Amino acid sequence: MAAAEPNGIADITGAVRQGLIPAFLYNDAEVYELERTRLFGRSWNFLAHESEIAQPDDYVVRNIGDDSFLVTRDSDGQIHVMFNMCVHRGMQVCRAERGSARTFRCPYHAWTYKNDGQLAGLPFHADAYGGEAGFVKEGQALLRAPSVAIRNGMIFASLDPDAPHFETWLGDYAFYLDFYTGQSAAGMEFRGPQRWRVEANWKIGAENFMGDSYHTPHTHASVVDIELFGEPKPYKRKEGVLWHAGPGGGTTYKLPPGSDFRSGLAYVGYPDEMIDRMAATLSPPQRALVDEPGFMPSASTLFPNLSFVHNWPQTDAQGRITPFISVRLWQPVGPGETEVYSWFCVAADAPDDYKAASYKAYLMCFGSSGMFEQDDVENWVSITTMARGSMARNLLLNNRMGLTLDGDPIVDQFEGFGGPGTAYQGFGEHNQRHWFSMWADLVSQPAPARQPMAFGMGEQPA
Amino acid sequence: MSSGQSPAPLPYTDERHQMAAQFLTEEAHLLDTSDFEAWLGLMDRRIRYRMPVRVTAVKAADEVDVQTMHHFDEDWYSLRKRVQRFQTDYAWTEDPQSRIRHHVSNVRTFEGSDDELIVESAVLLYRSRGDRTAPSLLSAGRTDVLIPTEEGLRLRQRDIEIDESVLRTQNLAIFL
Repeated sequence: MAAAEPNGIADITGAVRQGLIPAFLYNDAEVYELERTRLFGRSWNFLAHESEIAQPDDYVVRNIGDDSFLVTRDSDGQIHVMFNMCVHRGMQVCRAERGSARTFRCPYHAWTYKNDGQLAGLPFHADAYGGEAGFVKEGQALLRAPSVAIRNGMIFASLDPDAPHFETWLGDYAFYLDFYTGQSAAGMEFRGPQRWRVEANWKIGAENFMGDSYHTPHTHASVVDIELFGEPKPYKRKEGVLWHAGPGGGTTYKLPPGSDFRSGLAYVGYPDEMIDRMAATLSPPQRALVDEPGFMPSASTLFPNLSFVHNWPQTDAQGRITPFISVRLWQPVGPGETEVYSWFCVAADAPDDYKAASYKAYLMCFGSSGMFEQDDVENWVSITTMARGSMARNLLLNNRMGLTLDGDPIVDQFEGFGGPGTAYQGFGEHNQRHWFSMWADLVSQPAPARQPMAFGMGEQPA
Repeated sequence: MSSGQSPAPLPYTDERHQMAAQFLTEEAHLLDTSDFEAWLGLMDRRIRYRMPVRVTAVKAADEVDVQTMHHFDEDWYSLRKRVQRFQTDYAWTEDPQSRIRHHVSNVRTFEGSDDELIVESAVLLYRSRGDRTAPSLLSAGRTDVLIPTEEGLRLRQRDIEIDESVLRTQNLAIFL
């Protein structure tokens, strides 16, 4: 960014806060640069789930934006998140995506790191450097992710050493997160991810999952038509509550009248054994969300780019209904390209039969081949293509659904909703506006300059 | 990819190889002309149609040990749903349709048990959408189990080895 303050960012955030989205935000190099430095440089980013590195010495390699991180479980079982760049000459230390290793040896000059990041050895330390007199080996390690937090087994990192305390930042979103990743005391099992690249801006998926119940009846009409998933009918979606709480929000489906916790979960296909597990981990207020009037969480986004989906399609010809959970990351690779990471998520101790049916439900509906996701991505690629041109510079897209021209909500907040935060029944873009207000907060604040760290010079890295 | 149950492939002059190769060519034709109903007719009702997610692993490790996920893991029910979806008026991702071509090659046929044929092939799927100038390409190896029936060969099992860990295609609204 050449200018001290990029041209027009105040106008952009001003419009966004009024519920008007400059259309070019969906494909613009300058905006993307601000997102890269100011937003992803400061936000909490999801990397992996503990179950993906279940055994000592397991590792996966994951990205935050352009930065590759090595996420390991060391030989003592401790989890580490380290920048995957050799501190000597900068080679990527681990080039596999996952596996098991006690040490990682850089292919360039054979510098070797233990799986907790500590520099274990470098060839010819005495001959080449004069030992500690030339390169202080003691205490050197791969650069650590500045901030790391784990919740429900989900490993998050921030590039900002001064990131807000994770649990404080998460706030009331935690209440809803448990419906997706807190279904059993034994924890969850993440499978995957499927990874694929789409020529779409990363924000579109995040916003869509945050609260777009309005697209479902039309975009996903085919899925209703073939009787794969009966819920997304227009009148059904309209009865759902849209909630936002803390740094996230989501959609729900209204359950049949008279539902309680057990019957509500049974309605979406959870077997008794699963309901027992959820009854044991969810708090009374969480369970009450499913009680009369009864709402079942569906899609959700945790700012900035982590989304969840919970649907309950028909998984066999006999009409069995089975719910599934998918966790997905909209990983930006450029202003007009996103790498989608999509995991299947299930209670680790769920019955095998349930796991198999839920996995089937996931593969049919979401992910790279999912029949819902196919049509979503078609829309998002098209938006991104349209946003590239000159006309999009002069168009403010309307993100004001649910507000009058004066800015008043067209309906009152829904009082009968059991969860924390703000809730409206019916269609609205309340959640998308909430997402964009968080986006505006970050992209309008310059990122503080950081002091670079030197290695081997006798000072311990912070 | 497994080399099937025989030590060597059948010679090209073997009628069983010729039938298998023709099956794959005719199957590709049905997919390229969107005749999904006829394509589904080539499937045995016990079909298993699988495509694991490829994972980059160190050479010393067996990639299969670190695979946890599929792109496809289909049975008759789910394949039929996918076909039915294309037949609705709302399958937006293929309306307008992509221009697609399955290039099938490297066919090797092995004798299986009980008159089954194990057939390896390579497939390159060219997919062009709208006026985008960059096509989406998917390269894969396949290992099929074909069974003889009175109506001809039927596909009993297909294991697809896709040649990318990160797919460069907006979705798998296609069959390989």
